[in-house]
Amino acid sequence: MVFLARLGAPVRGFLEFLGDQGHLVLQTLRHGFLLRSGQWAVVGAQTKLQIRFTGLDAALLVGGTALLLGAVTLIQAFSQLSGLGAENYIGTLMVLIILRELGPLLTAVLVIGRSATAIAAELGAMQLNGEVDALAAHGVNPYQYLLLPRWLGALLSIFALVVFFDGAALAGGFLVARLKYGITWGFFLESVRQALSNLDFAATLLKVVLFAGAITFHACHFGLRIRRSQTEIPQAVTRTVVSALVAVFIIDGLVAALFYF
Amino acid sequence: MIQIRGLAFDSPEGRPLMEGLDLDVPRGGNLLVSGVSGSGKSRLLKVMAGTERPRRGEVRIAGHLIWPGDGALALAGRLRMGFAFAAGGLLSNLSLEDNVALPLRFLGLPPVEVVRRTGAALERLGLGPVSRLRPHAISGTARKHANLARVLALEPELVLLDEPLEGLDAADRALALALIQAWAGDPACTLVMASEEPQALPGLEADYLQLIPPPLPMESP
Repeated sequence: MVFLARLGAPVRGFLEFLGDQGHLVLQTLRHGFLLRSGQWAVVGAQTKLQIRFTGLDAALLVGGTALLLGAVTLIQAFSQLSGLGAENYIGTLMVLIILRELGPLLTAVLVIGRSATAIAAELGAMQLNGEVDALAAHGVNPYQYLLLPRWLGALLSIFALVVFFDGAALAGGFLVARLKYGITWGFFLESVRQALSNLDFAATLLKVVLFAGAITFHACHFGLRIRRSQTEIPQAVTRTVVSALVAVFIIDGLVAALFYF
Repeated sequence: MIQIRGLAFDSPEGRPLMEGLDLDVPRGGNLLVSGVSGSGKSRLLKVMAGTERPRRGEVRIAGHLIWPGDGALALAGRLRMGFAFAAGGLLSNLSLEDNVALPLRFLGLPPVEVVRRTGAALERLGLGPVSRLRPHAISGTARKHANLARVLALEPELVLLDEPLEGLDAADRALALALIQAWAGDPACTLVMASEEPQALPGLEADYLQLIPPPLPMESP
């Protein structure tokens, strides 16, 4: 019995976690639909703040990372495939490696590192300071004021960052292709365009939506669970990172299987 | 205004603090909850405010069932409730002005009215000169007064005050007490105040609830 109990405890804990995540999503959606016109200004201002922090402030980091990644991807590809007509596979390589997989995935990883950690720590500190209770007690719905703007902000920011990442990675790839093979911008873009399909756009969009939800609600879950002491904040941040990373990789695998398997 | 039946709740460590409390506070009534530290005064106020889930029992505010139920969310947009916390409670990333204005904006009041009420409440509590500062940049007394200003600006139907006079000097205490007495004398406002001092509301008609902390469990040798 003890063995069975030990076996069952993590399963039960995982199911509880999933239930809590589902509850957070449904409640946020429900209260989002209940927002009155006068409240949208407050929620909109909070969403703008989240977009500034998650999107704008991360743009340089994401752009730099993507530029280097695009360049390194083609450097490695050319070093392995030189003599096999690597220049003919530029578009396929860029689409397969960067646009389909690494663009959304690395953007999500960077957002987890920068924003999910900040959301978890901020909500944890607010919880300890009684700020969440104060909001609820004064008629400011925490789902509408805290969760919805973070979700919307993360969603719009991740979408913009993935587009920016892909653009910067293509620019990095083009630089290498240009320097190595003297390939023109027109040829490069045409090669990428031929390798891209509508399926890639749909898969990327789905990933953006699911990643944003997973990242935001993991951070909110672990942040709002803090109850007693400030020492719980770093624990919540660590759990957010690990848990959100696992969720993002699982979602990425599932979407890849759904669209390309 | 407040109806409580069979209420039971625990301390954060899980120690039972209250068993089977029945309580009625009529609209416009005043209730002073007293008891030593750790007797569950703050907990009771949070349960009434709908921010702390009780172990058992039923709580209705203005006829709305908050426990069992969605807690404070059940009151949003239906009742103007103000809660002055003993400590904390102000949003640390907002100025005092924005802290006071946020519930008003969320109520959907016109911006002019929000500015008027916010300014008047902060001035009344002597916080005009520091209204642009954030809570961490002001004194503990000013933070306590900012909590009261947020309640005042709401023009609340139900006021919950947790130790609003604790740690105040004579002048600040008089300022807070004048405001509390105004709420206590207002027939449209129901006041519940928690204080360690049983005579915190001198000369005012109020019901009294004395909380007695349960004995601490003895550790076994």
